[in-house]
Amino acid sequence: MSDRIRLSVDGRMLEVATPVSILQAASADGTPLTANVGCLGQGVCGACRCMVRKQDEADVTTVLACETLAEDGMQVSFIDYFIPDRPHVYDVAEITDVWRLSNAVSGIFPEAAQCRHCGGCDRACPKELDVQRGVALAVAGDLAGAAGIFDQCVMCNLCTLACPERIWPNHLGLMVRRALTALTLRPSDLIHRLNELERGGDVLDLSGTASTGTAAVVSDGR
Amino acid sequence: MMSTTSLSVSAVPYADALTRLRTAAAQASPAEALSREELLAAYHPDHNEDARVALRVGGNRGMLCHPTLACLLEGNALVGDVDLVALDPVVTDVLVIGGGGAGAAATLAARRGGADVVLAAKLRVGDSNTVMAEGGIQAAIGEEDSLQRHFDDTLKGGHGAGEPELIARLVRDAPEVIRWLIGLGVSFDLAEGPLAGGRLLRKRGGGTTAARILSHRDFTGLEMMRVLREAVELDRGVTVLNRAPAIELLSDERGRCVGAVLYDLELRRLRLVCAGAVVLATGGAGRLHLSGFATSNHYGATADGLALAYRMGAQLRDIDSFQYHPTGIAWPGHLAGGLISEAVRSFGATLVNGQGARFIDELSPRDVVTSAILRECAEGRGVVRDGLIGVFLDTPTLLANRPALLREQLVSLGHLAHRAGIDPTREPMLIYPTLHYQNGGVVIDTDGASTVPGLYCAGEVTGGVHGRNRLMGNALLDIIVFGRRAGAAAARHAAAAEPGRFGLGHVQSWQRELTCAGLIEGPRSPILYPAYGHFDLRRHMAASQD
Repeated sequence: MSDRIRLSVDGRMLEVATPVSILQAASADGTPLTANVGCLGQGVCGACRCMVRKQDEADVTTVLACETLAEDGMQVSFIDYFIPDRPHVYDVAEITDVWRLSNAVSGIFPEAAQCRHCGGCDRACPKELDVQRGVALAVAGDLAGAAGIFDQCVMCNLCTLACPERIWPNHLGLMVRRALTALTLRPSDLIHRLNELERGGDVLDLSGTASTGTAAVVSDGR
Repeated sequence: MMSTTSLSVSAVPYADALTRLRTAAAQASPAEALSREELLAAYHPDHNEDARVALRVGGNRGMLCHPTLACLLEGNALVGDVDLVALDPVVTDVLVIGGGGAGAAATLAARRGGADVVLAAKLRVGDSNTVMAEGGIQAAIGEEDSLQRHFDDTLKGGHGAGEPELIARLVRDAPEVIRWLIGLGVSFDLAEGPLAGGRLLRKRGGGTTAARILSHRDFTGLEMMRVLREAVELDRGVTVLNRAPAIELLSDERGRCVGAVLYDLELRRLRLVCAGAVVLATGGAGRLHLSGFATSNHYGATADGLALAYRMGAQLRDIDSFQYHPTGIAWPGHLAGGLISEAVRSFGATLVNGQGARFIDELSPRDVVTSAILRECAEGRGVVRDGLIGVFLDTPTLLANRPALLREQLVSLGHLAHRAGIDPTREPMLIYPTLHYQNGGVVIDTDGASTVPGLYCAGEVTGGVHGRNRLMGNALLDIIVFGRRAGAAAARHAAAAEPGRFGLGHVQSWQRELTCAGLIEGPRSPILYPAYGHFDLRRHMAASQD
């Protein structure tokens, strides 16, 4: 359980007991940990992006440090977060015509059609999403298909960093998902309850015992 | 980082326990010998003698508080007047402190109210407990359900300690909040089946009388946060300051909150933001690892906002009450504390002790389930693996009956199991309670207003909504309901506010009080990062940049 390994993190040589994640190893020498850290293992926040080269391997891969185990001989370099000006500005409330949603996508993300299929985004994605295909589906107008591909995206922005055409694939995917939802999700049970409340069905008994054991009737609702 | 409990009691070795689990016949959940109150009194960590001390200073002097938190609440300020000399303030209508779901909702609502907003985040906007929330969000939209039932469940789940007016606001706003989220582009799962056509999928949470939890698979918080963050970042009226934790609030001569002192981690210097109103949305305290527990919380959950608000005079409540989520992962140790969603139990997974027996109704309120797990472990019926103790969450039986769940609904469970090197269809997860939520916090009204004029609060930093135990799905609802209300109220307050002089008058009063109590040489707060973050403000400011 307590094998010791040596690895290099941002140029610092560290010796740690395994098993630990790269992120846990990174603060082992007392370096203040104030960035590139977030959910600490769940792999959902995308904050701890880093480049990793394993011992005796030539390839550099991008991973999330919180969910990747540190190994002996690893070289790790965290990728600083920078927020450049957002080139693709939109307000989802202003996208109102679902028939013309494809036009909105190409209008906001014109670079998407210029994808040169280098595969950089796919290699960069720590979640192994088919990013490039997602972009292609969005360009082709298969918006539901594109939305499905980006469903588990954690918005780490590694594909955006990797893209030479400045497509910002994860933001494209999120825009497609947002617009589809905002324009098409109309659950009948939610609508019913909202209508009820509009008609004054929000009278509550604040004693806390009104519904004990039975389904309570809220005002005039039904 | 923190590991889970060390072994000081007997327990059943993993291999033996696994054999018993696999050979045990299907069981009903057992009748409970103790009443819920007895179980909580005997085993819940809040009830431990070492978990409560009386605060020695401040507006809530005498109130019971967890001792680790009390150290921060009684702490001295990190800065004084001399630090503010020659700093030019940034001026805005509303300053939002905290970049999670509550902060983002407050920001969007303040913008809608016509305010310009500065949003200051300790890490990056979006880095928060919100993004980690898995289970879902409550809203009473089912035909058999009602606002009244949602209200009653929430009040009862909180042991009657919640504030009825706040709970009423919570449940009344819930359906509209879902519509608002959908309008921003947050997707919710629809129910399966051809006849369901267009109805939302609803799950049942522990301690509720109706299936009321709406979700996006088992990463609802991620779905909400990535949309909220995008909306905030694309709004030209919002200035996002990442890596800029608030280290003190600013007050005017009348004691109103008029801004904050931020620390810019990039430039290693202080910044001032003066605002017509401030929304504090700094979240909870899991990274304080209270009573030695591992936590499911985000790195930033260090109770900063509570310390800042208390020093300025805001009233607090229920600060001795915390939620320990029943199902944190216990093995392997490097993942300890990581969350396994209550959704797994909602779908029917059972908890099984080292003797192969169920020991609690798995959908009891969280504090009850947690107490039962701690009892099993304390009385030698736990399971031990590599020195780590816990009980089994029986995923193999659940997934044998419903194999599609792992792919469609329990994506995060599959992800966690994969990293633990476990095949959840064959091997159960070893689980142990994990510090999950701060039930109490800053006292607010239904607009999120604290007792300090100009200071609004929303989300986990507040108290009163969840009483002394929160139900699954009410946190994501809380942050949006009260985030929006606090943001809107802050914008109104800012529009009417006359500019005054900003300063640290409240810090001077606080220090006088600390001196009288003999606490002036004590620790400083907020701490901003957990102990293993190795952060010290003065050292960090003095160090040259790499």
